[in-house]
Amino acid sequence: MTNPSPLTTISVTPPETAAPALRSDDRLTFPKMIAIPALERRDYAMQTWLFSGVFWMVVAASIGVIEAVKLFYPEFLQGIPALAYGRLRPVHVNLGIFGFMSMGYLGAAFYMVPRLTQTALYSETLGVLTAWGWNLNLMGGVLAILMGLSKGKEYEELPFPFDMMVGILEILIAGNLFSTITVRKESRLYVSLWYILLAIIPFPIYYTLGNVMNFRGIEDAIVNWFYSHNLFGLWLTTLGLATLYYIVPKQLNKPLYSHAISFLGFWTLAAFYPWNGGHHVIWGPVPEWVMTASVTASIAMLIPTIATMVNFGGTAWGTQGVMKRDISYRFSIVAYLSYVGTSLWGSGLAIMDLNAKLHFTSTTIAHVHLGFVGFGLAGLAAFIYFYLERSLKRGYSRKLAEWHFWLTVGGTIGYVVSMGWLGWLEGSEWASGNSVQGVMALRYWYNVARAGSGGLLLIGQLLLVWNIWKTMTSGPSEGLVTGMASDESNTLKEGAAV
Amino acid sequence: MRFIREFPIIVALSFLFGLAFTGLVLAPVFASDISEPTPKLVAYTPTEQHGREIYIREGCVYCHSQQVRNVKADQNMVDAYGVSKSGDYFYDIPHLLGTSRQGPDLSNEGQVWGKASGDFAREYLIGHFKNPREYNPQSIMPSYSYLSDRELEELTDYVQSLGAWKIAPEATETTAEITPTEAQS
Repeated sequence: MTNPSPLTTISVTPPETAAPALRSDDRLTFPKMIAIPALERRDYAMQTWLFSGVFWMVVAASIGVIEAVKLFYPEFLQGIPALAYGRLRPVHVNLGIFGFMSMGYLGAAFYMVPRLTQTALYSETLGVLTAWGWNLNLMGGVLAILMGLSKGKEYEELPFPFDMMVGILEILIAGNLFSTITVRKESRLYVSLWYILLAIIPFPIYYTLGNVMNFRGIEDAIVNWFYSHNLFGLWLTTLGLATLYYIVPKQLNKPLYSHAISFLGFWTLAAFYPWNGGHHVIWGPVPEWVMTASVTASIAMLIPTIATMVNFGGTAWGTQGVMKRDISYRFSIVAYLSYVGTSLWGSGLAIMDLNAKLHFTSTTIAHVHLGFVGFGLAGLAAFIYFYLERSLKRGYSRKLAEWHFWLTVGGTIGYVVSMGWLGWLEGSEWASGNSVQGVMALRYWYNVARAGSGGLLLIGQLLLVWNIWKTMTSGPSEGLVTGMASDESNTLKEGAAV
Repeated sequence: MRFIREFPIIVALSFLFGLAFTGLVLAPVFASDISEPTPKLVAYTPTEQHGREIYIREGCVYCHSQQVRNVKADQNMVDAYGVSKSGDYFYDIPHLLGTSRQGPDLSNEGQVWGKASGDFAREYLIGHFKNPREYNPQSIMPSYSYLSDRELEELTDYVQSLGAWKIAPEATETTAEITPTEAQS
């Protein structure tokens, strides 16, 4: 592939891992002008993003547990306006989206882009400053919601000026990553870069559309969910998949099963995902064709889902040995399975008959948490352990990581099963004529189980934080504790290019 | 020029995104049933609008939908109040359709605990905001006793306006007759 056509330039394995040296290109004067020497450390931007993401994940999970307790013991922390359920819920969601998932996976993107392009990041300084700007802005926005200044629509609660600041910062982030990709030295674009391009480029359009103003009545609802679903589909999912596409072949030390399938998966995702927003108003007071288009697109999402399923499944086939010894890879598998599960579930919930029964029930909440925790959190954990061990060459505590893994898996299963099953029961009760008030007693123990599962997840994530902290402050280790990198010969196959 | 290599990808992605944008965002603007209010629908009075802002501020929408769908699960509400139509939301800026029913749907609460029931309904609603479990021990609704009396009044006005216009007398042109909020509060 000396001069391949641009639409097929995917290499099968991500290129070399070593981060290229900084400031290597003399043509770029702007990043030099704004460079702050103290921030111009290799991977400093990426670390700031990643660890900020971990911080917000713990905050979001803690708030989630408080909310969960309030759902079966409403007197818990009662009487404090800022801690009322209706104010904590948007904070939990916004921290989950803009704190944990956005920042964590942008950390992964800031890691992948220089390596996949063989080019130093356009500006480490800009990367670090945008990360801190994002942190402070999010903090301000969340405090504003707690003070009662929410804009009031799902996922666009952050009030002015915090909402617009997110958009401006995203443009700076996109500029930073995009410039790096544009001046890259490696001409081939690995599939992860495609997903990153899809994540960073349309964001300002739908973000502004969703946040800048209220439309009238149902139009407002349609725009709201157009924005919301693109935030999941084109921002979080793409960044998450980019990360999995990068780390899985490296963890296995073998090429991706098929780049033709990742090609298919990428373009079908880009074609169908933006249409999905309308499936939040199935059976609702919207024009019939909005529903039809969205239901069709949601079911068409089976194509990219199955493509990803086959591609990762084919890559992961027969790798039980790696799974056993490499916690990072095991997390990747959890993320992969959850991604497939969430996507199939999402398509299923868009089927008219199922939606009639399950919309408004706890099933939706289970679906979202399978996405955010099963896919988002496990994928990020996979990346973090991968980063500590393979890039920083530091051994983390294997024991803590095992606990983290099993608490996360246990918590996720507990959460998704309790809420999913409760949602089914609620849907059945309502379909047979029972009222919302009539299912309150039924909900009690499921809500307790949800809080318990959330508690397990939170404890697991605290172990992750502790593990990262100990690893980062202990300095590089001579021998890797987990023994992954030293035992890779059996998976090395023909065509593996590392 | 290396940029050229990404360029076709970006054009293709923009096209796909633009297609969905046109279909889901631009096209609905021209749908007539969205741009016209349902007959008899009335705009919110200033106090109702204030109440609506409190409803938004306290995040009521996360547990209460305002949308009756033509499905089996909503059959009782459909029979009693009819299916929600897009014109019903003409004055809802922002929308408060909701996605979850931790609590009951409120789109017709103004008929359940309406102004027609007089002081009794008002006292119930305010008392319920302050201490929901006094009325229903199984309720998990937060207590809103921290709201001021005035805020509770406004919130009550808003809740009593929901769907109340549907049972208003026919042939009304002005909003004043249907929503005598000032007179009551």
